[in-house]
Amino acid sequence: MATILFFGRLSESSYAINGALPDYVQTTDDVIAWLSERDDGLKAALATPGNRIAVNKTIISKSMPVSDADEIAFMSPLSGG
Amino acid sequence: MGVVVTDMSFDPEMVHAEFRKTVGDAGAIVAFTGLVRGEGDITALTLSHFPEFTESEIARIGAVAETKWPLTAWHVVHRIGKMAPGEPIVVVATASKHRRAAFEAADFLMDYLKSEAPFWKQETRGAESRWIEPRAQDIADKKRWES
Repeated sequence: MATILFFGRLSESSYAINGALPDYVQTTDDVIAWLSERDDGLKAALATPGNRIAVNKTIISKSMPVSDADEIAFMSPLSGG
Repeated sequence: MGVVVTDMSFDPEMVHAEFRKTVGDAGAIVAFTGLVRGEGDITALTLSHFPEFTESEIARIGAVAETKWPLTAWHVVHRIGKMAPGEPIVVVATASKHRRAAFEAADFLMDYLKSEAPFWKQETRGAESRWIEPRAQDIADKKRWES
């Protein structure tokens, strides 16, 4: 079962998702397309510049393969301190 | 070398005192404390994080600092949860044989915490809350270290 998490501003657009990814969802770009089809609000939120994606707690800079074993986190721009 | 992310209010002086016990033969300690700014009518600042990932990312940034400066110790305490203006939000402490390394490493760690550590900040004014995102200045501050 894949886990999809949303942080910061993105947490207002979706709750965490735990479930099997559809067969055609093979990469992080596919995950974005799949989530965007499900919900227009989430589509707009995911398209906002500055968001980051972490797969299994590593930030990625380009689309990468994912499977049901992965945790995929979508994060709005980071702001600490 | 420690990272503490806590939802409890903390006393920066106590953090400094504890840190001092860990610095070995350092000749310089720099301890920075960040407070929630009481700007205008702000009533609260609320920080959220990504459990485990936030801690490991700060540890990673600390390890980068160790490669850049000869530190004998470093420590980061960062608040999450709801804070009132004036409350401590972050302590960054660094120790080295000489002052320059300690100053620079503390400055570096703060710049990275501002825009690279997985925290998210919401500002509340009365009934209104809004997300705070890094300012252009924060991004520029971090870029100073990229050469």
